[in-house]
Amino acid sequence: MGSVKRKILKDFVKASIFAVMVGLFLCAPVTLVASENNESQKEFDARKVIVDHVLDAYDWHLFDIGDKEFSIPLPVILIYEGRFYIFSSARFDHGYASYKGFRIADDGARKGRAIRVLEDGVTPDPNASFIFDFSITKNVVAVFAASIILCLIFISVGKRYRNADPDHIPKGLPAFMEPLIFFVRDQIALLAIDREHYHKFMPYLLTVFFFILLNNLLGLVPFFPGGANVTGNISVTFVLAMFTFVTTHWFANKGYWQHMFNMPGVPMFLKLPIPILPVLEIVGAFIKPFTLMIRLFANITAGHMVILSLTSLIFVLGSVSIFLGYVISPITVLFLIFLNFLKILVAFLQAYIFTLFSAFFFGMAVPKEHH
Amino acid sequence: MELLMPGLGLIFWMTVAFGLVLIILKKYAWKPILNVLIQREAKLAQSLANAKRIEREMAQLAELKTVKVAEAEQIYSETTKKAHAEAEKIIDEAREKARLEAKDIMNRADELIQAYKKEAMREIQGQLSALSLDIAEKVLHEEFSDRERNARYVKKLLDQVVEN
Repeated sequence: MGSVKRKILKDFVKASIFAVMVGLFLCAPVTLVASENNESQKEFDARKVIVDHVLDAYDWHLFDIGDKEFSIPLPVILIYEGRFYIFSSARFDHGYASYKGFRIADDGARKGRAIRVLEDGVTPDPNASFIFDFSITKNVVAVFAASIILCLIFISVGKRYRNADPDHIPKGLPAFMEPLIFFVRDQIALLAIDREHYHKFMPYLLTVFFFILLNNLLGLVPFFPGGANVTGNISVTFVLAMFTFVTTHWFANKGYWQHMFNMPGVPMFLKLPIPILPVLEIVGAFIKPFTLMIRLFANITAGHMVILSLTSLIFVLGSVSIFLGYVISPITVLFLIFLNFLKILVAFLQAYIFTLFSAFFFGMAVPKEHH
Repeated sequence: MELLMPGLGLIFWMTVAFGLVLIILKKYAWKPILNVLIQREAKLAQSLANAKRIEREMAQLAELKTVKVAEAEQIYSETTKKAHAEAEKIIDEAREKARLEAKDIMNRADELIQAYKKEAMREIQGQLSALSLDIAEKVLHEEFSDRERNARYVKKLLDQVVEN
């Protein structure tokens, strides 16, 4: 017993030293860049860096070398006054240039989005009509990539189950996925939904669980294929919440609607002449997906922001004094390692919570008939 | 604030992508997987039920076995007892028979012995009488050879008669 504990302790110490070494190695160039920035008298704006990283973007930023930004340009698709404008986001030159009267807004409500500008290429056009922006942005690419990965994984898993012998014990990828599928079914669907109805919601619950989980995990990868803040984007969580909302009301049975408009077992004066309860119920039906949307968005964005803030700390302190930057780097990196583990937990937790709450809403949509 | 501004394009593409993923996975992944899982569970449940049933049957059989063993033991002991009794009876009978036979043989032997004895006695008597007669003859012959003594004896006998 004692020897096993000592071995674990030894391994832990070894791993810690290794992590610090790797951290220092990774930090050295970062700190160097920070000091370069300092020398070139460029102000390091932590807020801008953090917000820019959690926001969607027209190009996929890879890295900077000195003052040069390297990024993958993505197609911009705009419909303005009935005309299509399709061009590469490289035309915007990372937001420094305007193209065909469009420019990326520096501030305002549409900050970071394409806006119409006047002839000078800088001033926003006050008379501009609405721009339908269907650009393939960074998050759209990330969503597509995650969708393709998800399909590849689960089609290959599904193939092994087609005409499979139920006695066959899964191996490989199916063996990894099966417990998760069981988890979604037993700990989420069956927990929240009546046994009679749960199977109708299983495809949606499984898809949404794995979609959120995969995007959360990809969001933790700090370099190219990952790193997009997909599940921390309000548009994405809005769509997911809308799917839950639509699914809820698509499958809702008589009991649900009765509950909403004429709740049994409550005094009549709450329903007539002023329908207080029905109004509350209808508002509640919209608040439920709204909470789903905000919860996922806020949790994931907050996680990204904390990680980015800690990373920025190196630069901020580095711009004060390069030695301070060196001193803070290993501490920050240790924190970042801890936070990344926490974020892996949060990735699972938020996927679980979104799916569980969706399941609860479905469970309410198909109450048992005896009321 | 810009964080909370939903983007039309992203909403559109996200809806398309997620909808497609949902449809594709529903058809090619979740249906086959869930089917197999349900089948497997049904099979497991059935196997468990079977195992339970078999267990119950085994328990019943075990009970039956104890009953049967007890019965068999009883039958065995009864049979043995009966056999013992019968054997004893047979032995007794045999003994009795043997005794009777022995007695019979003894009786017959006795009779034979008696017969032989009688015969022997008769023979001995015959021989004895012959012998006695012989002896008597011899004695008489001897006695009568001594005339003087005989004459004396006769005189004595006559004297007695005279005296009387």
